Amino acid sequence: MRRTLIRLGIAAALAAAVLTVATVAFRPTAEAPAARTVARQVDPLADRVARAQQHLRDVPGDWAGWSALGAAYLEQARVTADPGRYPQAEQAARKSLALRRAGNGDALVVLGALANARHDFAAARDQARAALRVDPADADAYGVLADALTQLGDARGATGAVQRMLDTKPGLAAYARASYDLELRGRIPEATALMRRALDDAVDPHDAAFCRTQLGDLAFGRGDLRGAADHYAAALAADSTSIAAQRGRARVRAAQGDLPGALSDYADLTARLPGPSYLIEYAELLNVAGRTAQADEQLSLASAAQQLFTANGGQDGLATAALALATGRPADAVTAARAEWNRRHHPDVADTLAWSLHAAGRDAEALTYAKRAISGGAHPSAYAYHLGLIELSLGYHDEARAELTRALGTNPYFSPVDGPNARRALAALGGSR
Amino acid sequence: MIQLVVPLVAGVLAHPINNFSINQYAELTVRPDRVEVLALADVAEIPTLQEKPAVDTDHNGTLSDAERAAYATAECGRYADAFVVTADGDRLTWTVTAPGYRVVPGVGGLSTSRLSCTLAAPTTASTLQVDNHYRSGRVGWRELTATADGVRVETTLPAQSVSDRLTAYPRDLLTSVPDVRTATIRVGGAAGAPAATGAPERPAVAGPSWLTAAQTRVESLAGGHLTPVVVALAFLLALLLGAAHAALPGHGKTVMAAYFAGRRGRIRDALAVGGTVTLSHTGGVLAVGLLLSTSTALAGERLLSWLGALSGVLVVAVGVGMLVSARRSRRSPEGHHHHGRSHGHSHAHLYQRPGGRLGLAGIGLAGGLVPSPSALVVLLGAIGLGRAGLGVLLVLAYGIGMAGTLTAVGLLLVVAQRKLGDLATRGYRAARLGGLLTRLTGRVSAGAPTATAALVVLVGLGMGVRAIA
Repeated sequence: MRRTLIRLGIAAALAAAVLTVATVAFRPTAEAPAARTVARQVDPLADRVARAQQHLRDVPGDWAGWSALGAAYLEQARVTADPGRYPQAEQAARKSLALRRAGNGDALVVLGALANARHDFAAARDQARAALRVDPADADAYGVLADALTQLGDARGATGAVQRMLDTKPGLAAYARASYDLELRGRIPEATALMRRALDDAVDPHDAAFCRTQLGDLAFGRGDLRGAADHYAAALAADSTSIAAQRGRARVRAAQGDLPGALSDYADLTARLPGPSYLIEYAELLNVAGRTAQADEQLSLASAAQQLFTANGGQDGLATAALALATGRPADAVTAARAEWNRRHHPDVADTLAWSLHAAGRDAEALTYAKRAISGGAHPSAYAYHLGLIELSLGYHDEARAELTRALGTNPYFSPVDGPNARRALAALGGSR
Repeated sequence: MIQLVVPLVAGVLAHPINNFSINQYAELTVRPDRVEVLALADVAEIPTLQEKPAVDTDHNGTLSDAERAAYATAECGRYADAFVVTADGDRLTWTVTAPGYRVVPGVGGLSTSRLSCTLAAPTTASTLQVDNHYRSGRVGWRELTATADGVRVETTLPAQSVSDRLTAYPRDLLTSVPDVRTATIRVGGAAGAPAATGAPERPAVAGPSWLTAAQTRVESLAGGHLTPVVVALAFLLALLLGAAHAALPGHGKTVMAAYFAGRRGRIRDALAVGGTVTLSHTGGVLAVGLLLSTSTALAGERLLSWLGALSGVLVVAVGVGMLVSARRSRRSPEGHHHHGRSHGHSHAHLYQRPGGRLGLAGIGLAGGLVPSPSALVVLLGAIGLGRAGLGVLLVLAYGIGMAGTLTAVGLLLVVAQRKLGDLATRGYRAARLGGLLTRLTGRVSAGAPTATAALVVLVGLGMGVRAIA
């Protein structure tokens, strides 16, 4: 028995030796290609998606995995600006819900965030509340709720949700939302401080670029061109593909008088993301440069984009109104802005409705909405300029002078078209007193 | 999730990818003296409209043939400039032929467009480095393929287009839009066959499609709402899956057959093998599952291949053991009894021979040691869902199912052998064929101990090498 065992041992050792040789002989072909592809830079988000996909191929019944994949797809849609991921995100969340309906708050949060992304804010609010019934301390659900309530114009509700989010999960997402909440209440220094905290929390380059871009926008909003330029440059250093950061840089360049630089930025970013709002800004700048034919091309492109968007069942009254204003159709702008106002009471909607009414010559009505826009505390240059011109049309010269002075005082570079207009109007009023 | 509300992007689903995407496909063909590239772009509605001023050079609103041809030539030039291939370090200079640009009706009264170009360059290099940065900032499908004609290539690129050259975009929830921009192609030899494809397949569960379907069923049952009926159903399915799994090639069935043929196995032996398989398989899957779910450093595939190698080593050890005892029994006088017709005697004899039990245990271990990937998947899935108990139950069912099949095969072998033996001993006249067979088995049996032992060793080596390679 013992001898047999010894022999078995020797045999096993021999076999192991043979197999080791075989390993050495066969390995290189199997591993070499993989080793070569490693050199490519790995995007953490793409990596997260790939892992989630592989995991679900192995474990298709993992409902939590499906909602995590949905969240990752949403994040990718935000970062890459590719709306093609929205349907995938939705299907992943629905699959998660199909596997487990009861107590599946994560999937509801994904669906809520998706509704926000599609500007269906009422649906987002309802999904977030459903998720909070599952888990009253779900920070992500508070995030979705805060976004939805902010956009719907429920400022108090939004502040409450942001506060709950800060309490349950302080971090990048909560600070960024709190910053926007403060900005909407006109508390710009505190908003800036909180966005800086968010930036300190950012690990992922996409997140860092996002925070830097927000800081840039805040700096630009108070006329700090140098600070804004630095933030946008830092954002682009973190993520060279960030479209929002490039748009910020374009605005700074235009404000600094570098029109060719601004135009080339806009040409590049609208090629990558041809959304109506960016195309309208690009057209505005082309008009300033005297290139009206190209400006018209951009506007027809914006119309086509908008047409495709509505053909797919989307609704975005703000973009429709802005496009109608840019193409000289004030009546259509009023209709679109009013429809949006009936859906939600965000200050931006009030401002757009006021400006549309002004363009349509209905200044008395416009005044109500222009005042409504600034009632929450936020008072950026654009709101002030719109209110000032409406007041001027109504003959309220003192108020108009004050608003126009405020617009130019807050950010003299706020718009390449409206800035000079504001200056002319103010001069006609005898200057700021 | 920092999903602050972002500006909306127009048009969500007009183009299959999206209506501002530029989708690219490049097909490389490596020939002995040159490389050819078929470069295509499928341009969605918005970018087609964006490009229109560049195409419609006379600005009359329509695209004449001449305008389209001129644009195609210019754009293929840009594609060629951006499609960088270096051959052993030197950048290839493309000759562009057959530029084409056509406009296809799209959604909402808009158009999409398709650009096609053929690039070619002479080269005999052994390494080609591909780097496509045509329209690199644009969202879209980016696909590369490579085939060889008259040479052999080695590359991670697939040979076939998954989108049928940008005409049908397969989308499922678990695949992202391909974004392949770079690749390395090694060129060598003069063989004609196109080289391996690198398409990632579902690696774990192979086998007939109904088996895969049953697997999916078990997985979704394990993830769903649990009732006693569901658990019972899942258990039964797992049992069936295990049985079917053991019926697929592998699992030491060949070894078992050889072992039984060489040693005249008994029913008890067949049962013993079954029992060992159940135990070792259940234990193995549980151990591997525990390792994989607690350690992130271990890759499942790697672990499985090592276990495969280990089971190969085991079989080799059993084979060598058989070889050793066979040679010894030839030399000893008892060996003659072994070749005698008395079954009872030879079996009893076999059973008492040292290493007999050990050999059986070895075969059972080898059969059960390599965890069935599907059982592992179910276990990991159940652990992931916080239902470890259910996972263990299902794995046990797998083991029992596998043991069932293997025991059945063993019993079949035992019975077949006896039938043949009986025919031969009784020497009935009708048993001409049986006689022939018996003579054959007899002859095999005579040289069997050595031959079968060698066979077992070979099979074991094969198992090990296959597991590792």
